[in-house]
Amino acid sequence: MKKYIIITAITALAFTSCKKTLDVNTDPDNPGVDQATPTLVLPSGIASAAGRIGGDLAILGGIWAQYYTQGTTASQYRDVDAFNVTKSYGQTTTGVAWVELYSGALNDLNFVVNKSKQEQNWNYFLMGTVIKTYTLQVLVDLYDKVPYSEAFQGAANLQPHFDDGYTVYKGLLAELDSALNKDFDASTNSIAGTNDFIFPDAANSWSIEPWVRFANTLKLKMYLRMAYAKPADAQAGIQKLYTDGALFLNQDAQMDVFVNAPDKANPFYSYNFLEIGTDANLKASVTFLSWLQVNGDPRLNDYYFPATNSPNYLAINQGDFFNTDAALNGASKARVDPTDPVEFISLAESHFLQAEALEKYYGGAGAKSHYDAGVTASFARYGDNPASFLAAGGRYVYPSGTAEQKLEAIITQKYASFPGSHALEGWLERNRTGYPRISTVYSTSGAYVPGQLVYPKNGITNGVFAKRLIWPDLERSKNANTPAEEPLTAKVWWDVR
Amino acid sequence: MKKIVSFITAFLVIVSAFAQQRTIRGKVTDGNGKPLQGVNISVKGTTTATQTDASGSFTISAADRSVLVFSSVGFASQEIAIDQRTEFDIALSQRPTDLTEVVVTALGQTKNKDKVGYSATTFRSDDIIRSAPVSAMDGLQGRVAGADISTISGQPGASSRIIIRGYNSIGGQSNQALIVVDGVPFNNSRLGSFNDFANSGGPDFGNGLNDINPNDIDNITILKGAAASSLYGSRAQNGVVLITTKKGRAGKLSVDFTSSAITTTVAKLPTMQDRFGQGWFGNDWMEENGSWGPRLDGKERLWGSIVDNSRLIKPYSFVEDNVRNFYDMGTELNNTIAIRGGNETTTFYLSYGNVNSNGILPGKSDVYKRNTLSMRGQTKAGKFLASASLNYINKAGNTVNTVSDETGSSTFENIIQVPVDINMTDFKDYNNKFFNVNNYFTPYASNPYYSIFENGTTNKNDRFFGNTEFGFDFSKAVNVRWRTGIDVANARSKDWHAIEDPGPGTWRGPNPTNAEGASFTALVGDVRELSDYVREINTDFFVNVNKDIAKDINLSGFLGANYNDQESRRHASRVIGLTIPGFYNLSNSANDPVTTTASTKRRLIGAFGQANFAYKDFLFLTVNARNEWSSTLPEGNNSFFYPGTNASIIPTRIFDMSSTPISFWKIRAAYGKTGKDAPVYSLESTLRSGNAALGFGNLIFPLNGVSGFEMGDIIGNSKLKPEQTTELELGTEIRLFKNKLGIDFTYYNKRTDGQIIQVPIAASTGYQNLITNFGLVENKGIELAVDITPVKSRDFTWTTNFTFTRNRNKILELPEGLEKVDFNSYFDVKMTGRVGQPVGVIEAPKKLMTEDGRYVTANGFFAETNTALPYGSIQRDYSMGLNNTLTYKNISLGFNLDYRKGGYFVSRTADLGYFVGNAALTAYNDRKPFIIPNSVIQTGVDAQGKPIYAENTTPITMANYYAYWYHTSNKAHSWENIILPKDFLKLRDITLSYRLPAAWAKKISAQNVTISLIGRNILLWVPQKNSFIDPEVTNLGNDLIGEFGEQATSATTKSFGAALKFNF
Repeated sequence: MKKYIIITAITALAFTSCKKTLDVNTDPDNPGVDQATPTLVLPSGIASAAGRIGGDLAILGGIWAQYYTQGTTASQYRDVDAFNVTKSYGQTTTGVAWVELYSGALNDLNFVVNKSKQEQNWNYFLMGTVIKTYTLQVLVDLYDKVPYSEAFQGAANLQPHFDDGYTVYKGLLAELDSALNKDFDASTNSIAGTNDFIFPDAANSWSIEPWVRFANTLKLKMYLRMAYAKPADAQAGIQKLYTDGALFLNQDAQMDVFVNAPDKANPFYSYNFLEIGTDANLKASVTFLSWLQVNGDPRLNDYYFPATNSPNYLAINQGDFFNTDAALNGASKARVDPTDPVEFISLAESHFLQAEALEKYYGGAGAKSHYDAGVTASFARYGDNPASFLAAGGRYVYPSGTAEQKLEAIITQKYASFPGSHALEGWLERNRTGYPRISTVYSTSGAYVPGQLVYPKNGITNGVFAKRLIWPDLERSKNANTPAEEPLTAKVWWDVR
Repeated sequence: MKKIVSFITAFLVIVSAFAQQRTIRGKVTDGNGKPLQGVNISVKGTTTATQTDASGSFTISAADRSVLVFSSVGFASQEIAIDQRTEFDIALSQRPTDLTEVVVTALGQTKNKDKVGYSATTFRSDDIIRSAPVSAMDGLQGRVAGADISTISGQPGASSRIIIRGYNSIGGQSNQALIVVDGVPFNNSRLGSFNDFANSGGPDFGNGLNDINPNDIDNITILKGAAASSLYGSRAQNGVVLITTKKGRAGKLSVDFTSSAITTTVAKLPTMQDRFGQGWFGNDWMEENGSWGPRLDGKERLWGSIVDNSRLIKPYSFVEDNVRNFYDMGTELNNTIAIRGGNETTTFYLSYGNVNSNGILPGKSDVYKRNTLSMRGQTKAGKFLASASLNYINKAGNTVNTVSDETGSSTFENIIQVPVDINMTDFKDYNNKFFNVNNYFTPYASNPYYSIFENGTTNKNDRFFGNTEFGFDFSKAVNVRWRTGIDVANARSKDWHAIEDPGPGTWRGPNPTNAEGASFTALVGDVRELSDYVREINTDFFVNVNKDIAKDINLSGFLGANYNDQESRRHASRVIGLTIPGFYNLSNSANDPVTTTASTKRRLIGAFGQANFAYKDFLFLTVNARNEWSSTLPEGNNSFFYPGTNASIIPTRIFDMSSTPISFWKIRAAYGKTGKDAPVYSLESTLRSGNAALGFGNLIFPLNGVSGFEMGDIIGNSKLKPEQTTELELGTEIRLFKNKLGIDFTYYNKRTDGQIIQVPIAASTGYQNLITNFGLVENKGIELAVDITPVKSRDFTWTTNFTFTRNRNKILELPEGLEKVDFNSYFDVKMTGRVGQPVGVIEAPKKLMTEDGRYVTANGFFAETNTALPYGSIQRDYSMGLNNTLTYKNISLGFNLDYRKGGYFVSRTADLGYFVGNAALTAYNDRKPFIIPNSVIQTGVDAQGKPIYAENTTPITMANYYAYWYHTSNKAHSWENIILPKDFLKLRDITLSYRLPAAWAKKISAQNVTISLIGRNILLWVPQKNSFIDPEVTNLGNDLIGEFGEQATSATTKSFGAALKFNF
């Protein structure tokens, strides 16, 4: 009998301490979600958004805007340049931009928005709302319909419904309005200081004011984006901005913290030069380089490197990546430096947006000075001065013709300001406005007008340009609410020209 | 009659206490006269026992009328009455599935095989070490019906993969069988391997099982089904490999020495085209890393870089065996000395083993060294018994990293990219002015010798494991045992890439002097340090009962409790961009190191019991159950219970079948469950240190002096339940023609339900994964083992064993809304799981066809379907093994064939071979321009929206010939060529052994001397389509994800050598 007593005793002893013994399941290496604060999370959200919008999406936009084309001795972007982009575009081990923007950037930004609202920390509420809006606006512009009203709910809604782009825009504009209307003097606000990656400043001189300007300029950009598809909405929205005396960006809204170090460099640079392991992919396209050359534009050497072992610049015709001419092997490479900033809205862009708005809704009063300021800002970014270009008889002088001619000048100059990490915007604005124009001949033809877009040589879409991205397989395979597939050539909602 | 015997036996036991003790000596041999070592000899009804030594001899003290029981795993046990004799020569029959074989069952218990109602396969020492393997599992490849055992690369000390009855877990990281050594769980993880499961192909330093010296193993039993393994609890879901180590034995001191010397050479390599040489687009560009140049003409020609206005000259002709010549001959020395001895109460075993291996890569880049020290002892004092086992392993190795990124290049990728006319071995002098960093012939790849000699990866591992056991025998019927095991290991790995930064104005530097003007993108170098610590303590306490409760009915069983505590800590730091060339330390950079730490702690408490009923000698029933409490499950919901039962019946003992050819027949049935807890820290969502993925590269915090955290991508789940595997197994064993033919057949159906995995979810939820219980996976299949003894005579015996395994794997359920799970991908090629399909279907877009079966093209290339379609699955159709042993007097010949049919894998080696024009198929059509036969081009759509086609007139020319073979332009065609069949037939080993006649051996005062010639993996057959690589290799880890294929990795090896065993 003794043995049973021993067994029972041992068993009993074992189980009394059982509960405590098993209480070892707290991760020592990752903090719990309850420790998250807007201050801690906002920088991650901004970095994720900048990382993709100024990284692989800028490369995609840069090729489709025809600043760049695929080099002949490498093959990384051939499918992009041929419009042979499938649902899995850009998929690597870490997933497509869609995945990082939703689960990396937007989830963080959504947390910042919700938490700062709860804490009545209106500074962070505005900052979070602006970057969230910017990111979702880019997703709408690329994918047309995206999850918005049912997104970011985690396990509570595993298959969010897709909202149409116009609905998302309206929702975002309302979110911006709400954030702009808060009390930025409230004692519950906190100072971002250098945690603000867009307008960093010492804590005692940091101000929310540039963010208000950023928000207003973003609203202006979004209203202009819908100017052709929803003219009444656009006009009302823009006029309200002016009536309310909205202040627009008077500096670049950009993330400018990159250094020449691995994991810390400009995302376009990291992706295309550092990580892929060859710089032979992204080369100057004849389309844009010929325009710079014909105008004698000094930004040529800011946007591209000279051809290998040559002081001259050499471009490849768009999409002509099978060309076996050895002369093209050393064609001009795209120039993006590791310390280049990622622009969200550049100062030049702010001026061009204002010029367009004034031209469209206010009879053009003040448009020219914003146009000139835009060109000047774009040149100044690289230490150049466009005075001679803007002076009477200069190549870029503001036209005096029709409103459409003026629009073409504004958009063309805006387009010319975007290469590098802001290149996606060049392609989006081209789709909205139709400028630069599409050439009827290929760029090898004597009749080719420099600067006009050509259908890429090895394009597979029968002469129709890419107008969007296809919803990624990574979303479709997990979300049955993903809409029926649209081809790459189908226009997004605001693309009506 | 049996009944009477047992009655007499019982009587004898009672009487024996009064009888006179005497010393009995003898010798035990197998049926062929070969001495048997390690046979257990016990005096029936007492605790007195001993074992035979290497010469088969034993000494035991017993009373006059005792009965001696001779038993040994894999042999028929025999009971012999002493009957006043003192000398015995016993021959045990050597059939591995004999009627009264003893098998090791759960928790270190042994059981008569008759009583076991499930399939278990046992291998004895001789089988395991037949070909002198470094890892115990290498000797068993292709020999276990129902187990898929593979070595994942040709590097010395490479990991092995043991998958029993198919892949159960969709998580893809935990399908390995549990390893149990002497009743204690044994860590089998790949310690010190960077990126264990990432598809980036980190270096492999072998899994834990390879730490055990095969010469120390007495036997290995493989428990395949849930009924057999459920007593091991939550970790036994994928089957159990039970390893029983050698113990000491009573008798005079015996020394065993085994030694082998093996040479290894590279086995399968890619087949190269031999018609076209260096260049691109058909031009003879001298800086190209491929063979897309003009036709080889054998003429003397200048080649390579221009340095100091001079150039090299060589014939423009195909270099035979170019890649093969890159490899060296490897060596492998494997020595073990073991001493054992003891008396009737105390025995000991001591061994020291040493492996020193240098693989097939040049220099010391692939080295494996292992020292193993084992000490075991057991003692008895009356009713008390105690034993201990202590093992220390010191392991060190070098291997090569197969990752290629901005810090450095992969040797294997560089080898593949050398044009077929350039003699690779010329580059060995990588400081030579033509082949150095500045002037290596191509700016698109690195000198493979530079990457192998300047980059490196090392690993050092100290491991200690052992156990103590105490027991007390209350009576013949009741005893208690308390066993505690500990397993601690600390592995340190370091790897580094050298800076490779050609100088400006050199052949491949900035402003290069080569004609194409292409620069090599500087590799900035890196250093990584990794420290991996694991510790596991496991303790079992149990009470055994064995009692005849009525006439003909025996009841035995045990009750027990278990406590298991596991801890791990992994710390990794990496710095990218080195300052001082050639100095590899984390301090040597202007950049901050990126550091990660992962610590885990988990505990399990278990209570278990088993009851065995035996009716006479023909009906057996076992019922077992275990309950477990796990720290990783939600509090209050962390207990789970799983029962198992199995039964066997032996009709040959009920009915008289002596008039039929059937000499033995057993029918088995088993049903069991195993549960499994959650991975650690699965219950809560967490924050992660800020890291924005760029697609290529990352933005890692801190940035600009700002620290950042982000919401993690994984949603924790506080409602997790344990996952469960349920398995039904039916089987039969039949022996015919006086045991000359034995058949063992098993059918099983296994379902794993409520798997705890990170389910990928739509990113629009804000997250990427949700930890949840989901997914039902079924594995069902058949296993057949046949053993035949076609010839058995005094001098000549031929035995053959054949195994056949067929497993069908299917996903039955996925969570709602989830169309598929992607396990891995290579560009557009994915390995997926879908409902109704096997785990791991390889999918990619296919060639687009018109309704009337013509190829649709775009720009002359194949157009591909918009959606991914299946090319096949990673699962095998079936596998077969054939193992033969022929013995003529003292000479024995054994060989083992392993055939595996079906399944596909994805090969980056193939992809690169096509890219650079080295692959044999790229000489297709003699590289003359052609239009894809039977092809059309879409010109528009008709009124119904249907496509209109016209004849395709765009030829594939020399300008885009290479694009035709590569996946950036001609995807579907490329996928067809790099998704390769996995089938193979291997001659795993062949050994010819000669045992010196006893008289000769005695002259050197040895008892037993055996010399063997060994060949391993000397023949490999694969389908013609796979002209690239051994389909078993992978650098993607040794679990499900690794089945996807390989990312340009090391070739496998074949070995020849000799082994010597002697005993004195």
